[in-house]
Amino acid sequence: MGRMKRNLRVVRVLIEMRLQNLMMFRLSFFGPFFVDSCVFLIQLSVFQAVYYNVDRIGTWGKGQMFLYIGTFSMINAINMVICFFGINGIPDKIKNGDMDLYLTKPVSPLLRLTFERINPGAVPLLILSGVIIASGIRKGGIEITPSLMLGYMFWVAVMTVLYYLVEILIRSLSFFILSSGSAVILEETGLALCMQLPGIVFYGVYKVIFYMILPYGIMATLPVQFLTRELTLGGVMWGILVAVVFTMLTAFVWKQGIRHYNSASS
Amino acid sequence: MEQSWREFTRKGEKVLRKYLEIIKIFIKTQLAWRGDVVIQILFTLTKILFACLLWRTIFKDRDQVAGFTINSMLSYYIISSFLNQMDMSSRVSGEISQRIRNGTFSKYMVLPVNIQGYFIAMELGIVLFYLSLDVITSVIWIFAFHIRFVFVSDPVAFVGAMILILLGLFFMAQLNYYLGLLTLKYEEIGTFLMIKDNLVAFITGSLIPLVLLPQGFVAVMKVFPFYYVTYLPSMLLIGRLKGELGMGLLVLACWCVILQAVIYATWHNYRIKYDGVGI
Repeated sequence: MGRMKRNLRVVRVLIEMRLQNLMMFRLSFFGPFFVDSCVFLIQLSVFQAVYYNVDRIGTWGKGQMFLYIGTFSMINAINMVICFFGINGIPDKIKNGDMDLYLTKPVSPLLRLTFERINPGAVPLLILSGVIIASGIRKGGIEITPSLMLGYMFWVAVMTVLYYLVEILIRSLSFFILSSGSAVILEETGLALCMQLPGIVFYGVYKVIFYMILPYGIMATLPVQFLTRELTLGGVMWGILVAVVFTMLTAFVWKQGIRHYNSASS
Repeated sequence: MEQSWREFTRKGEKVLRKYLEIIKIFIKTQLAWRGDVVIQILFTLTKILFACLLWRTIFKDRDQVAGFTINSMLSYYIISSFLNQMDMSSRVSGEISQRIRNGTFSKYMVLPVNIQGYFIAMELGIVLFYLSLDVITSVIWIFAFHIRFVFVSDPVAFVGAMILILLGLFFMAQLNYYLGLLTLKYEEIGTFLMIKDNLVAFITGSLIPLVLLPQGFVAVMKVFPFYYVTYLPSMLLIGRLKGELGMGLLVLACWCVILQAVIYATWHNYRIKYDGVGI
């Protein structure tokens, strides 16, 4: 309990410091919002155009697809606001020895890295995602009940954590290899693909890759399937299992990485 | 008369040799950045994979969508992603913007060549390097994804598409050069450039064929150059829209002339704002 309180205090201080820093460099404050909202709006336009010519993609109509894009946008937005800019710098910090500063502080390095570069400029992206989700619910004619909404929020939270874990896992590879550049490129490629394609279109080897190895294929698919009452028990079990396995794997790789780290130019 | 003509051709050759050297340098430079080749291949893979997974799911219960069969649709994506990869000009705007911001744009100002010419030669060098690689990659994707490739048999449409592609590449190089120059006035354009890249991918038809969009929207798009940069050449190369070739060449050529005038005016108005010490 005492540790939790201390960590919360650290998070509060990190957020305060970040806000002060942002006030000094206001130029690109809303940059991530504009860029990401543009990406998701274009994606909406792409699927609007596809649905202009066809009524369904697999089993999904326009409503489900809007929900999918909105949910992915929401997961991405939460990540952008809280931790992306902190986590993204891990490989550079390992490479040039800046990780020393994190290891010598009396606070978890990962906690600090997660919260030290929050980005309030991406908050409007949360609102935009909410609007897209609401539009998907309306278009899909989905009747929302409190339990359905709570379940959906639970899945979004689980998948947001999974997204965060994969981010750390990929960047932790820098502890062991000279550059994790290729892994980050793989991550970007997988993300770019799965932001555009729901998990229902994957089959065979693609399903193995995007449901297991780089699980971006399930991240927005499972919450949407829950909301549209399509999520099977197998899907629930798989989602939880992947989240648990990635939690353990990331914790293991991170701890081993810290042990493996030997300061500047490692 | 003959002497002045000889003088003129001699000067022309001298200028050409300078740009040829720049092209050679950039072909060699690409060899040093082999990681970029991997990125390049991965990006085309994403596009083709996206197209295969999405359109194979859609075509499961229908034979045609907006006049496309599954084969012509996937062929469209192969060609458009090839053209998209050929256009390396977005790095021109990034380079100019970054150089102006950190005060090292002077490097280009002191070169004994026209700055825009330098960047176009630079792009040409990079494109030439990647050309064979992109062809090989496209062929690999055709076989790897079992695509029955549809390709134009009409030589007029083929030659017309080639001219459109060259004009399109030139237009994109002009556009990115112009956007880079805007840093002289607006200082920070990085965010705008990222948005531009996403928007251009959509309106050039790299994400989906523009024919899928509502007709009114497509009609408006025909006035702008982006319709003719990737979409029309790709459609021509799969044997469609030959009737639009003449208009395409005319519109794109007009836009190149207009943009060149805008570049000229922008450079002459804003270059005095550059102080060589960065922002």
